[in-house]
Amino acid sequence: MTLFGVSVLRGAALVGLLLAVEPLHAEYLRIKLRVYGLDCQLCARGVSATIQRMPGVKSVEVSLKTGLLEIVLVRGNTFKMSDLRKRIRENGFRSMEATVTAVGEFSGAKFEVSGSGESYSIGNPDPNAPAPLELTFDVR
Amino acid sequence: MWRAGVTMLGPQFSYGIKEDLQISISAPFHVDHGEHPTGRFTAMMPGDPQVEGLLAWRFYHVSTGIGSRNEATFYFGASALTQHVPRADGLPLGRQPGLYGALAAGHVSRRYDVWVGAGYQHYARWTSSVDDHQSDSLLSSFVVGWRPPFLNKDYPKPDLRFFWETTAEKVGLAQRDVAPPGSSGGHDHGAPPPPPDASGIVVLPNSGGTGVFSGPTFLCTYRSVAFQGGMLFPLLDQPNGTQKHERFRAAASVTFYFLGRHK
Repeated sequence: MTLFGVSVLRGAALVGLLLAVEPLHAEYLRIKLRVYGLDCQLCARGVSATIQRMPGVKSVEVSLKTGLLEIVLVRGNTFKMSDLRKRIRENGFRSMEATVTAVGEFSGAKFEVSGSGESYSIGNPDPNAPAPLELTFDVR
Repeated sequence: MWRAGVTMLGPQFSYGIKEDLQISISAPFHVDHGEHPTGRFTAMMPGDPQVEGLLAWRFYHVSTGIGSRNEATFYFGASALTQHVPRADGLPLGRQPGLYGALAAGHVSRRYDVWVGAGYQHYARWTSSVDDHQSDSLLSSFVVGWRPPFLNKDYPKPDLRFFWETTAEKVGLAQRDVAPPGSSGGHDHGAPPPPPDASGIVVLPNSGGTGVFSGPTFLCTYRSVAFQGGMLFPLLDQPNGTQKHERFRAAASVTFYFLGRHK
């Protein structure tokens, strides 16, 4: 094999390696989460600031009257619901039910959110649904 | 902070170590001078001019619904007096370190709050040369808060609520070491003291007493700033001796919260 051929092979191997270790992105797009215990303006501001610092978060809106956090995420984020619930808990509040819009695919009876490692039982999957699929569903 | 004849400023810095653990350093000091009534100002603010480190541990905490939660917090503080506290019946007493413990529990919601608390401030005798003893004090408080419906605005509008606070306190008798100079303790002062006991300690009759104070306060928060204030008036004011009666207590504070950046 020529020197050029060896270089091409090495280059191809390197690209393959890089592609193999590139992290998969999670595809949460929007989250509407109910939070218990937010009683004052400073509570809302503190929670909002904490969540805005999480990677992938585009915007956060908090309502004290409804106890709802509305989070919009950028495409290709690495966001996890478990991280969000942890941050809420660390702020001294309690996360409850959520309505989530995410991209993923069905694996058996569960909907797996791409790249997050998180999955949800959301009822009967459509066997003909294309993958990946954008769905909005409730999480308890 | 204002009390009978005394104005104080009280800077305080707090840091949340974890969601249920907070440390605070406060250092109230006299702006003017007058005979100082003893006893704490609030659960988190000493009433004497001293530096206090205070650990607050919220050991119970349950979010019960939208905008409501129950919680209970234990406070433990250690302090050192920074200024001599003026007395009408003689020289100021020697400075000693203090210990403070308190418990507070309450329910908060978007409509109303209820808080109860009790604490004890103790001053130790650590100095070898002067064995004076500041008054210990027992403090309890009951607070009811209310946010009128027309002020129940959503974030990020300013948040205002009103409280009615009642605090009861029992302040003990102070003691002065009058052992003659050159002996193991004591300091020379002009006022003729009551007869000392065998160890040279005199209980000061014009110290301490029992009081109940009650009045309106408020809390307003906007963005990262909180404004607080209020006045308490005596329902019961029984000094042990001939000290001045307190006509009112008033406090106002501004707090800035470092909450991090907002997009």
